[in-house]
Amino acid sequence: MVIDAVTRTGAAHDVELTGGLLLQVEHRGGRHVVTGQRHQGALRLLRPLYLDSSGQPCLTVVNPGGGYVGGDRYRLAVAVGSEASALVTTQSATKVYRTPGRAVVQEQTFTVGAGGTLEVIPDPLIAYQDADYLQRTEVVVSPDARAVLTDVVTPGWAPDGSLHRWSSVLLRTTLARPHGGLISLDTLHLVPDDDAVADHGFLPGRTHLGTLLAVAPEIDWAVIEVVHDLLTKREAEVTGLRAGVTGLAEPAGVAQGTRGSAAAGLAVRVLGPGTSAVEDLLLDVHAALRRRWGNQGRLNARKY
Amino acid sequence: MIGDESGLLTVLQFADSALPTGAFSQSLGLETAIHDDAVHDEATFQTWLHRFLHHQLAPADGWAIRAVVRDGLYALRVDAMLHAMSLPVQVREANAAMGRRAVQIAAENFPSLEITDYAALVSTRRAVGSVPVVLALLAREHGIHWRDACAAHVFTSLTALTQNAVRGIPIGQNAGQRVLRAMHPEVTRAVDRVAALTEDQVGAVSPALEIDQMRHAWQRARMFMS
Repeated sequence: MVIDAVTRTGAAHDVELTGGLLLQVEHRGGRHVVTGQRHQGALRLLRPLYLDSSGQPCLTVVNPGGGYVGGDRYRLAVAVGSEASALVTTQSATKVYRTPGRAVVQEQTFTVGAGGTLEVIPDPLIAYQDADYLQRTEVVVSPDARAVLTDVVTPGWAPDGSLHRWSSVLLRTTLARPHGGLISLDTLHLVPDDDAVADHGFLPGRTHLGTLLAVAPEIDWAVIEVVHDLLTKREAEVTGLRAGVTGLAEPAGVAQGTRGSAAAGLAVRVLGPGTSAVEDLLLDVHAALRRRWGNQGRLNARKY
Repeated sequence: MIGDESGLLTVLQFADSALPTGAFSQSLGLETAIHDDAVHDEATFQTWLHRFLHHQLAPADGWAIRAVVRDGLYALRVDAMLHAMSLPVQVREANAAMGRRAVQIAAENFPSLEITDYAALVSTRRAVGSVPVVLALLAREHGIHWRDACAAHVFTSLTALTQNAVRGIPIGQNAGQRVLRAMHPEVTRAVDRVAALTEDQVGAVSPALEIDQMRHAWQRARMFMS
Protein backbone atom coordinates (compact mmCIF):
# COMPACT_ATOMS: atom_id res chain seq x y z
CA MET A 1 0.00 0.00 0.00
CA VAL A 2 2.68 2.47 1.00
CA ILE A 3 4.90 1.13 -1.75
CA ASP A 4 2.15 1.80 -4.27
CA ALA A 5 1.52 5.23 -2.83
CA VAL A 6 5.18 6.10 -2.90
CA THR A 7 5.65 4.75 -6.40
CA ARG A 8 2.77 6.89 -7.55
CA THR A 9 4.43 9.99 -6.20
CA GLY A 10 7.65 9.00 -7.91
CA ALA A 11 9.53 8.70 -4.65
CA ALA A 12 10.59 5.09 -5.00
CA HIS A 13 13.27 5.81 -7.55
CA ASP A 14 14.08 9.42 -7.01
CA VAL A 15 17.50 9.86 -8.60
CA GLU A 16 18.06 12.92 -6.43
CA LEU A 17 17.79 10.94 -3.21
CA THR A 18 20.93 10.10 -1.24
CA GLY A 19 18.96 7.52 0.65
CA GLY A 20 15.40 6.33 0.82
CA LEU A 21 13.58 3.75 2.89
CA LEU A 22 9.94 2.79 2.58
CA LEU A 23 8.39 0.41 5.05
CA GLN A 24 5.00 -1.09 5.61
CA VAL A 25 4.00 -2.84 8.82
CA GLU A 26 0.88 -4.94 9.13
CA HIS A 27 -0.88 -6.94 11.77
CA ARG A 28 -0.97 -10.61 10.80
CA GLY A 29 -1.87 -13.52 13.03
CA GLY A 30 -1.19 -11.73 16.30
CA ARG A 31 2.17 -10.41 15.15
CA HIS A 32 3.21 -7.13 13.66
CA VAL A 33 5.37 -7.74 10.62
CA VAL A 34 7.14 -5.76 7.94
CA THR A 35 5.22 -6.67 4.82
CA GLY A 36 6.74 -4.15 2.45
CA GLN A 37 10.23 -2.78 2.25
CA ARG A 38 12.14 -0.84 -0.35
CA HIS A 39 15.41 0.92 0.09
CA GLN A 40 17.52 3.13 -2.07
CA GLY A 41 21.07 4.38 -1.61
CA ALA A 42 22.36 5.18 1.82
CA LEU A 43 19.47 4.18 4.08
CA ARG A 44 18.97 0.61 5.31
CA LEU A 45 16.86 -1.26 7.77
CA LEU A 46 18.43 -3.59 10.32
CA ARG A 47 16.69 -6.90 10.91
CA PRO A 48 13.58 -6.07 12.97
CA LEU A 49 13.93 -6.85 16.66
CA TYR A 50 11.20 -7.71 19.11
CA LEU A 51 12.14 -5.95 22.33
CA ASP A 52 9.27 -7.20 24.47
CA SER A 53 6.38 -9.64 24.38
CA SER A 54 4.02 -7.21 22.69
CA GLY A 55 4.87 -8.41 19.20
CA GLN A 56 5.87 -4.89 18.18
CA PRO A 57 8.88 -4.82 15.84
CA CYS A 58 11.67 -2.34 16.50
CA LEU A 59 12.73 -0.97 13.14
CA THR A 60 16.25 0.44 13.25
CA VAL A 61 17.16 2.75 10.40
CA VAL A 62 20.84 2.84 9.52
CA ASN A 63 22.85 5.29 7.52
CA PRO A 64 25.98 3.27 6.64
CA GLY A 65 27.66 6.45 5.41
CA GLY A 66 27.76 7.68 8.99
CA GLY A 67 26.84 11.33 8.58
CA TYR A 68 25.02 13.77 6.37
CA VAL A 69 26.82 16.23 4.10
CA GLY A 70 25.69 19.21 2.04
CA GLY A 71 23.02 18.57 -0.56
CA ASP A 72 22.12 15.13 0.85
CA ARG A 73 18.46 14.25 0.63
CA TYR A 74 16.90 11.43 2.58
CA ARG A 75 13.40 10.09 2.60
CA LEU A 76 11.89 7.76 5.15
CA ALA A 77 8.30 6.57 4.84
CA VAL A 78 6.64 4.19 7.26
CA ALA A 79 3.04 3.07 6.95
CA VAL A 80 1.50 1.20 9.85
CA GLY A 81 -1.64 -0.68 8.86
CA SER A 82 -4.80 -1.06 10.89
CA GLU A 83 -4.27 -2.62 14.34
CA ALA A 84 -0.54 -2.89 13.61
CA SER A 85 2.26 -1.53 15.80
CA ALA A 86 5.84 -0.47 15.16
CA LEU A 87 8.71 1.33 16.83
CA VAL A 88 11.11 3.24 14.60
CA THR A 89 14.54 4.27 15.81
CA THR A 90 18.05 4.92 14.53
CA GLN A 91 21.28 3.07 15.12
CA SER A 92 23.16 6.16 16.25
CA ALA A 93 22.96 9.94 16.39
CA THR A 94 22.15 11.82 13.21
CA LYS A 95 25.34 13.73 12.46
CA VAL A 96 25.13 16.64 10.05
CA TYR A 97 28.52 17.92 8.92
CA ARG A 98 29.41 21.31 7.51
CA THR A 99 27.03 21.95 4.63
CA PRO A 100 28.26 24.71 2.35
CA GLY A 101 25.67 25.52 -0.27
CA ARG A 102 22.64 23.30 -0.04
CA ALA A 103 21.05 22.17 3.18
CA VAL A 104 20.70 18.53 4.16
CA VAL A 105 17.04 17.63 3.76
CA GLN A 106 15.40 14.73 5.54
CA GLU A 107 11.79 14.06 4.62
CA GLN A 108 9.76 11.68 6.74
CA THR A 109 6.24 10.46 6.17
CA PHE A 110 4.45 8.36 8.75
CA THR A 111 0.92 7.05 8.44
CA VAL A 112 -0.98 5.12 11.06
CA GLY A 113 -4.13 3.23 10.12
CA ALA A 114 -7.18 2.54 12.26
CA GLY A 115 -6.26 1.22 15.70
CA GLY A 116 -2.56 1.23 14.83
CA THR A 117 0.40 2.46 16.87
CA LEU A 118 3.63 4.07 15.66
CA GLU A 119 6.41 5.27 17.92
CA VAL A 120 9.30 7.18 16.35
CA ILE A 121 12.14 7.58 18.86
CA PRO A 122 15.34 8.46 16.99
CA ASP A 123 18.76 9.21 18.44
CA PRO A 124 19.65 12.88 18.93
CA LEU A 125 20.67 15.28 16.21
CA ILE A 126 24.27 16.49 16.26
CA ALA A 127 24.73 19.42 13.90
CA TYR A 128 28.38 20.35 13.35
CA GLN A 129 29.73 23.84 12.83
CA ASP A 130 28.15 25.49 9.74
CA ALA A 131 25.70 22.63 9.28
CA ASP A 132 22.34 23.38 7.68
CA TYR A 133 19.68 20.77 8.40
CA LEU A 134 16.04 20.70 7.37
CA GLN A 135 13.77 17.92 8.57
CA ARG A 136 10.21 17.73 7.30
CA THR A 137 7.99 15.22 9.01
CA GLU A 138 4.39 14.55 8.05
CA VAL A 139 2.32 12.28 10.22
CA VAL A 140 -1.19 11.16 9.34
CA VAL A 141 -3.01 9.50 12.21
CA SER A 142 -6.41 7.81 12.00
CA PRO A 143 -8.82 9.02 14.70
CA ASP A 144 -8.44 5.87 16.81
CA ALA A 145 -4.72 5.38 16.14
CA ARG A 146 -1.67 6.38 18.16
CA ALA A 147 1.52 8.16 17.21
CA VAL A 148 4.41 9.25 19.42
CA LEU A 149 7.40 11.15 18.05
CA THR A 150 10.46 12.52 19.77
CA ASP A 151 13.32 14.73 18.66
CA VAL A 152 16.40 15.82 20.59
CA VAL A 153 18.64 18.63 19.33
CA THR A 154 22.10 18.66 20.93
CA PRO A 155 24.31 21.77 20.96
CA GLY A 156 26.31 20.21 18.14
CA TRP A 157 30.01 20.21 17.62
CA ALA A 158 32.67 22.79 16.69
CA PRO A 159 36.47 22.35 16.64
CA ASP A 160 36.97 24.89 19.43
CA GLY A 161 34.40 23.24 21.67
CA SER A 162 31.90 26.09 21.53
CA LEU A 163 28.20 25.26 21.35
CA HIS A 164 25.39 25.90 18.88
CA ARG A 165 27.64 26.69 15.93
CA TRP A 166 25.48 25.21 13.19
CA SER A 167 24.15 27.61 10.61
CA SER A 168 20.51 26.45 10.74
CA VAL A 169 18.50 23.62 12.25
CA LEU A 170 14.89 23.48 11.15
CA LEU A 171 12.53 20.73 12.28
CA ARG A 172 9.01 20.89 10.93
CA THR A 173 6.45 18.34 12.05
CA THR A 174 2.88 18.20 10.86
CA LEU A 175 0.28 16.03 12.58
CA ALA A 176 -2.94 15.58 10.65
CA ARG A 177 -6.01 13.42 10.31
CA PRO A 178 -6.54 11.35 7.14
CA HIS A 179 -9.05 13.87 5.74
CA GLY A 180 -6.32 16.52 5.91
CA GLY A 181 -7.38 18.39 9.05
CA LEU A 182 -4.36 19.73 10.93
CA ILE A 183 -3.84 18.76 14.56
CA SER A 184 -0.55 20.54 14.96
CA LEU A 185 2.12 22.21 12.93
CA ASP A 186 5.29 22.38 14.96
CA THR A 187 8.26 24.32 13.63
CA LEU A 188 11.58 24.73 15.38
CA HIS A 189 13.95 27.03 13.56
CA LEU A 190 17.20 27.50 15.43
CA VAL A 191 19.58 30.01 13.85
CA PRO A 192 22.41 30.96 16.20
CA ASP A 193 23.92 33.68 14.00
CA ASP A 194 20.74 35.59 13.38
CA ASP A 195 19.74 35.80 17.03
CA ALA A 196 21.57 35.18 20.20
CA VAL A 197 20.84 31.50 20.80
CA ALA A 198 19.63 32.50 24.24
CA ASP A 199 16.58 33.90 22.44
CA HIS A 200 15.48 30.32 21.94
CA GLY A 201 16.04 29.57 25.60
CA PHE A 202 19.48 27.96 25.41
CA LEU A 203 21.69 28.99 28.29
CA PRO A 204 24.87 27.64 29.83
CA GLY A 205 23.67 24.50 31.59
CA ARG A 206 20.52 24.43 29.45
CA THR A 207 21.93 23.45 26.09
CA HIS A 208 19.75 20.63 24.75
CA LEU A 209 16.24 20.80 23.34
CA GLY A 210 13.76 17.96 23.28
CA THR A 211 10.25 17.60 21.89
CA LEU A 212 7.67 14.87 22.22
CA LEU A 213 4.47 14.93 20.21
CA ALA A 214 1.76 12.35 20.79
CA VAL A 215 -1.68 11.71 19.40
CA ALA A 216 -3.87 8.99 20.86
CA PRO A 217 -7.52 8.48 21.80
CA GLU A 218 -6.38 7.70 25.37
CA ILE A 219 -4.86 11.16 25.89
CA ASP A 220 -7.05 13.43 27.98
CA TRP A 221 -6.53 16.08 30.65
CA ALA A 222 -5.83 13.46 33.31
CA VAL A 223 -2.89 12.16 31.23
CA ILE A 224 -1.62 15.69 30.68
CA GLU A 225 -1.75 16.24 34.47
CA VAL A 226 0.26 13.05 35.00
CA VAL A 227 2.88 14.25 32.52
CA HIS A 228 2.96 17.68 34.13
CA ASP A 229 3.61 16.11 37.55
CA LEU A 230 6.40 14.04 36.03
CA LEU A 231 8.03 17.15 34.53
CA THR A 232 7.73 19.08 37.79
CA LYS A 233 9.25 16.25 39.81
CA ARG A 234 12.16 15.86 37.40
CA GLU A 235 12.87 19.58 37.36
CA ALA A 236 13.29 19.46 41.12
CA GLU A 237 15.92 16.72 40.68
CA VAL A 238 17.87 17.90 37.63
CA THR A 239 19.49 21.34 37.56
CA GLY A 240 18.92 23.21 34.31
CA LEU A 241 15.83 21.29 33.25
CA ARG A 242 12.87 23.38 32.18
CA ALA A 243 9.88 21.78 30.53
CA GLY A 244 6.27 22.27 29.58
CA VAL A 245 3.38 20.11 28.43
CA THR A 246 0.18 21.05 26.68
CA GLY A 247 -2.84 19.50 25.01
CA LEU A 248 -3.26 19.39 21.25
CA ALA A 249 -6.60 20.06 19.60
CA GLU A 250 -8.60 18.26 16.97
CA PRO A 251 -8.62 20.16 13.66
CA ALA A 252 -11.02 23.06 13.30
CA GLY A 253 -14.40 21.82 12.20
CA VAL A 254 -14.16 18.62 14.26
CA ALA A 255 -16.52 18.53 17.22
CA GLN A 256 -14.68 19.47 20.41
CA GLY A 257 -15.20 18.03 23.87
CA THR A 258 -16.34 20.05 26.85
CA ARG A 259 -12.75 20.55 28.02
CA GLY A 260 -12.16 22.70 24.98
CA SER A 261 -9.42 21.77 22.60
CA ALA A 262 -7.26 19.31 24.53
CA ALA A 263 -8.70 16.18 23.02
CA ALA A 264 -6.37 14.96 20.33
CA GLY A 265 -2.94 14.60 21.95
CA LEU A 266 -0.16 16.35 23.78
CA ALA A 267 3.14 18.14 23.21
CA VAL A 268 6.13 18.26 25.55
CA ARG A 269 8.98 20.72 25.10
CA VAL A 270 12.06 20.49 27.28
CA LEU A 271 15.31 22.39 27.61
CA GLY A 272 17.97 20.61 29.59
CA PRO A 273 21.63 20.26 30.53
CA GLY A 274 22.48 17.19 28.44
CA THR A 275 21.36 14.45 26.09
CA SER A 276 20.59 11.93 28.80
CA ALA A 277 18.63 14.38 30.98
CA VAL A 278 16.41 15.32 28.05
CA GLU A 279 16.19 11.82 26.58
CA ASP A 280 15.41 10.19 29.93
CA LEU A 281 12.57 12.61 30.54
CA LEU A 282 11.06 12.08 27.09
CA LEU A 283 11.31 8.29 27.52
CA ASP A 284 9.59 8.56 30.90
CA VAL A 285 6.76 10.55 29.30
CA HIS A 286 6.62 7.94 26.55
CA ALA A 287 6.45 5.19 29.19
CA ALA A 288 3.58 7.00 30.95
CA LEU A 289 1.71 7.14 27.66
CA ARG A 290 2.37 3.44 26.96
CA ARG A 291 0.83 2.55 30.31
CA ARG A 292 -2.36 4.24 29.14
CA TRP A 293 -2.89 1.99 26.17
CA GLY A 294 -1.10 -1.28 26.79
CA ASN A 295 1.38 -3.20 28.85
CA GLN A 296 4.65 -2.31 27.15
CA GLY A 297 7.25 -1.04 29.56
CA ARG A 298 9.68 1.84 29.28
CA LEU A 299 11.81 1.77 26.17
CA ASN A 300 15.41 0.95 26.91
CA ALA A 301 17.44 3.74 25.35
CA ARG A 302 20.57 1.60 25.08
CA LYS A 303 21.05 0.29 21.60
CA TYR A 304 20.11 -3.31 21.25
CA MET B 1 1.67 53.15 1.91
CA ILE B 2 -1.86 53.95 3.02
CA GLY B 3 -3.35 56.16 0.34
CA ASP B 4 -7.01 56.77 1.06
CA GLU B 5 -8.58 57.68 4.35
CA SER B 6 -11.10 54.82 4.40
CA GLY B 7 -8.24 52.32 4.54
CA LEU B 8 -6.40 54.31 7.19
CA LEU B 9 -9.49 54.63 9.35
CA THR B 10 -10.31 50.95 9.00
CA VAL B 11 -6.83 50.05 10.21
CA LEU B 12 -7.01 52.62 13.02
CA GLN B 13 -10.31 51.23 14.24
CA PHE B 14 -9.48 47.60 13.80
CA ALA B 15 -5.81 47.44 14.73
CA ASP B 16 -6.49 49.24 18.00
CA SER B 17 -5.54 47.72 21.31
CA ALA B 18 -8.85 49.03 22.68
CA LEU B 19 -10.81 46.88 20.21
CA PRO B 20 -12.96 44.79 22.55
CA THR B 21 -11.43 41.38 21.81
CA GLY B 22 -10.26 40.76 25.36
CA ALA B 23 -6.55 41.27 24.64
CA PHE B 24 -6.20 42.98 28.04
CA SER B 25 -6.73 39.64 29.76
CA GLN B 26 -4.09 37.72 27.76
CA SER B 27 -0.40 37.82 28.73
CA LEU B 28 0.64 35.06 26.24
CA GLY B 29 3.30 33.73 28.58
CA LEU B 30 4.50 37.07 29.96
CA GLU B 31 2.91 36.33 33.33
CA THR B 32 4.99 33.15 33.65
CA ALA B 33 8.15 35.12 32.90
CA ILE B 34 7.13 37.67 35.56
CA HIS B 35 6.33 34.91 38.05
CA ASP B 36 9.74 33.28 37.44
CA ASP B 37 11.43 36.69 37.73
CA ALA B 38 12.82 36.51 34.18
CA VAL B 39 10.89 39.75 33.60
CA HIS B 40 10.94 42.24 36.48
CA ASP B 41 11.65 45.73 35.10
CA GLU B 42 11.67 47.87 31.97
CA ALA B 43 14.87 46.37 30.52
CA THR B 44 13.90 42.73 31.05
CA PHE B 45 10.42 43.41 29.66
CA GLN B 46 11.91 45.00 26.56
CA THR B 47 14.06 41.91 26.01
CA TRP B 48 11.01 39.69 26.44
CA LEU B 49 8.92 41.78 24.05
CA HIS B 50 11.72 41.73 21.47
CA ARG B 51 11.75 37.93 21.56
CA PHE B 52 7.96 37.79 21.40
CA LEU B 53 7.93 40.05 18.34
CA HIS B 54 10.57 38.18 16.35
CA HIS B 55 9.91 34.64 17.54
CA GLN B 56 6.14 34.54 17.91
CA LEU B 57 4.27 37.42 16.31
CA ALA B 58 6.29 37.63 13.11
CA PRO B 59 6.42 33.94 12.12
CA ALA B 60 2.76 33.31 13.05
CA ASP B 61 0.45 36.37 12.89
CA GLY B 62 2.75 38.34 10.60
CA TRP B 63 2.97 35.44 8.17
CA ALA B 64 -0.84 35.05 8.23
CA ILE B 65 -1.34 38.62 7.02
CA ARG B 66 1.26 38.19 4.30
CA ALA B 67 -0.28 34.86 3.29
CA VAL B 68 -3.78 36.28 2.83
CA VAL B 69 -2.96 39.72 1.39
CA ARG B 70 0.22 39.15 -0.62
CA ASP B 71 0.21 35.42 -1.38
CA GLY B 72 -3.54 35.02 -1.82
CA LEU B 73 -3.92 31.95 0.41
CA TYR B 74 -7.44 31.02 1.44
CA ALA B 75 -8.43 32.62 4.73
CA LEU B 76 -9.81 29.28 5.92
CA ARG B 77 -6.48 27.55 5.31
CA VAL B 78 -4.50 30.26 7.12
CA ASP B 79 -7.00 30.15 9.98
CA ALA B 80 -6.51 26.37 10.40
CA MET B 81 -2.73 26.63 10.13
CA LEU B 82 -2.50 29.38 12.76
CA HIS B 83 -4.60 27.29 15.11
CA ALA B 84 -2.39 24.23 14.56
CA MET B 85 0.80 26.27 15.06
CA SER B 86 -0.19 27.33 18.58
CA LEU B 87 0.84 24.33 20.64
CA PRO B 88 0.22 25.85 24.11
CA VAL B 89 -3.47 25.36 24.76
CA GLN B 90 -3.96 28.73 26.49
CA VAL B 91 -2.42 30.62 23.58
CA ARG B 92 -4.55 28.65 21.15
CA GLU B 93 -7.69 29.40 23.12
CA ALA B 94 -6.71 33.06 23.64
CA ASN B 95 -6.22 33.52 19.92
CA ALA B 96 -9.48 31.72 19.17
CA ALA B 97 -11.45 33.82 21.68
CA MET B 98 -9.98 37.09 20.38
CA GLY B 99 -10.44 35.89 16.81
CA ARG B 100 -14.10 34.99 17.23
CA ARG B 101 -14.78 38.40 18.76
CA ALA B 102 -12.85 40.19 15.99
CA VAL B 103 -14.80 38.34 13.31
CA GLN B 104 -18.10 39.46 14.88
CA ILE B 105 -16.97 43.07 15.10
CA ALA B 106 -15.78 43.01 11.50
CA ALA B 107 -18.95 41.36 10.22
CA GLU B 108 -21.05 43.98 11.94
CA ASN B 109 -19.04 47.03 10.91
CA PHE B 110 -17.22 46.07 7.71
CA PRO B 111 -19.52 43.53 6.09
CA SER B 112 -17.76 42.62 2.85
CA LEU B 113 -18.52 39.35 1.08
CA GLU B 114 -15.35 37.72 2.38
CA ILE B 115 -15.79 38.93 5.95
CA THR B 116 -19.40 37.75 6.03
CA ASP B 117 -18.36 34.39 4.63
CA TYR B 118 -15.57 34.02 7.19
CA ALA B 119 -17.94 35.00 10.02
CA ALA B 120 -20.40 32.33 8.89
CA LEU B 121 -17.64 29.69 8.90
CA VAL B 122 -16.57 30.75 12.39
CA SER B 123 -20.09 30.79 13.79
CA THR B 124 -20.66 27.23 12.52
CA ARG B 125 -17.24 26.19 13.89
CA ARG B 126 -15.82 25.29 10.52
CA ALA B 127 -13.20 27.96 11.09
CA VAL B 128 -11.60 28.99 14.38
CA GLY B 129 -11.50 32.76 14.00
CA SER B 130 -8.29 34.78 13.98
CA VAL B 131 -7.52 38.47 14.49
CA PRO B 132 -4.73 38.65 11.87
CA VAL B 133 -6.88 36.86 9.29
CA VAL B 134 -9.72 39.35 9.82
CA LEU B 135 -7.32 42.28 9.54
CA ALA B 136 -5.82 40.76 6.41
CA LEU B 137 -9.23 40.44 4.77
CA LEU B 138 -10.00 44.08 5.65
CA ALA B 139 -6.63 45.15 4.27
CA ARG B 140 -7.24 43.33 1.01
CA GLU B 141 -10.71 44.84 0.74
CA HIS B 142 -9.42 48.37 1.31
CA GLY B 143 -6.28 48.10 -0.79
CA ILE B 144 -3.92 48.35 2.16
CA HIS B 145 -0.43 46.98 1.60
CA TRP B 146 0.29 43.79 3.53
CA ARG B 147 3.33 45.40 5.17
CA ASP B 148 1.20 48.21 6.59
CA ALA B 149 -1.45 45.78 7.84
CA CYS B 150 1.27 43.56 9.28
CA ALA B 151 3.06 46.42 11.06
CA ALA B 152 -0.25 47.71 12.42
CA HIS B 153 -1.33 44.34 13.78
CA VAL B 154 2.06 43.51 15.24
CA PHE B 155 2.40 46.91 16.90
CA THR B 156 -1.13 46.69 18.32
CA SER B 157 -0.27 43.33 19.85
CA LEU B 158 2.90 44.82 21.37
CA THR B 159 0.84 47.72 22.74
CA ALA B 160 -1.68 45.38 24.39
CA LEU B 161 1.13 43.35 25.97
CA THR B 162 2.85 46.52 27.16
CA GLN B 163 -0.34 47.68 28.84
CA ASN B 164 -0.50 44.29 30.55
CA ALA B 165 3.16 44.61 31.57
CA VAL B 166 2.48 48.05 33.08
CA ARG B 167 -0.15 46.45 35.31
CA GLY B 168 1.48 43.07 35.77
CA ILE B 169 5.17 43.74 36.53
CA PRO B 170 4.38 46.63 37.28
CA ILE B 171 6.33 49.27 35.40
CA GLY B 172 5.40 52.95 34.90
CA GLN B 173 3.31 54.19 31.99
CA ASN B 174 6.31 56.22 30.78
CA ALA B 175 8.50 53.12 30.82
CA GLY B 176 5.85 51.37 28.75
CA GLN B 177 5.92 54.17 26.17
CA ARG B 178 9.73 54.04 26.02
CA VAL B 179 9.63 50.30 25.33
CA LEU B 180 7.04 50.78 22.59
CA ARG B 181 9.07 53.54 20.98
CA ALA B 182 12.14 51.30 21.04
CA MET B 183 10.12 48.65 19.21
CA HIS B 184 9.54 50.83 16.11
CA PRO B 185 12.69 49.79 14.20
CA GLU B 186 12.18 46.23 15.44
CA VAL B 187 8.71 46.14 13.90
CA THR B 188 10.22 47.12 10.54
CA ARG B 189 12.82 44.38 10.95
CA ALA B 190 10.08 41.93 11.86
CA VAL B 191 8.07 42.80 8.74
CA ASP B 192 11.24 42.29 6.68
CA ARG B 193 11.63 38.88 8.28
CA VAL B 194 8.01 38.05 7.49
CA ALA B 195 8.60 39.03 3.86
CA ALA B 196 11.51 36.57 3.68
CA LEU B 197 9.93 33.62 5.53
CA THR B 198 10.01 30.38 3.56
CA GLU B 199 7.20 27.86 3.73
CA ASP B 200 9.29 25.70 6.05
CA GLN B 201 9.92 28.55 8.49
CA VAL B 202 6.29 29.51 8.99
CA GLY B 203 5.18 29.30 12.61
CA ALA B 204 8.63 28.88 14.13
CA VAL B 205 8.08 30.06 17.69
CA SER B 206 10.84 30.28 20.31
CA PRO B 207 10.79 27.06 22.37
CA ALA B 208 11.52 29.05 25.53
CA LEU B 209 8.40 31.15 24.96
CA GLU B 210 6.33 28.05 24.30
CA ILE B 211 7.51 26.41 27.51
CA ASP B 212 6.49 29.54 29.47
CA GLN B 213 3.12 29.57 27.74
CA MET B 214 2.58 25.88 28.52
CA ARG B 215 3.51 26.36 32.17
CA HIS B 216 1.10 29.23 32.64
CA ALA B 217 -1.82 26.77 32.76
CA TRP B 218 -0.48 25.48 36.09
CA GLN B 219 0.50 28.82 37.58
CA ARG B 220 -1.29 29.78 40.78
CA ALA B 221 -2.82 33.23 41.41
CA ARG B 222 -3.06 34.35 37.82
CA MET B 223 -4.03 37.83 36.68
CA PHE B 224 -4.23 36.76 33.04
CA MET B 225 -5.93 33.94 31.13
CA SER B 226 -2.77 32.98 29.22
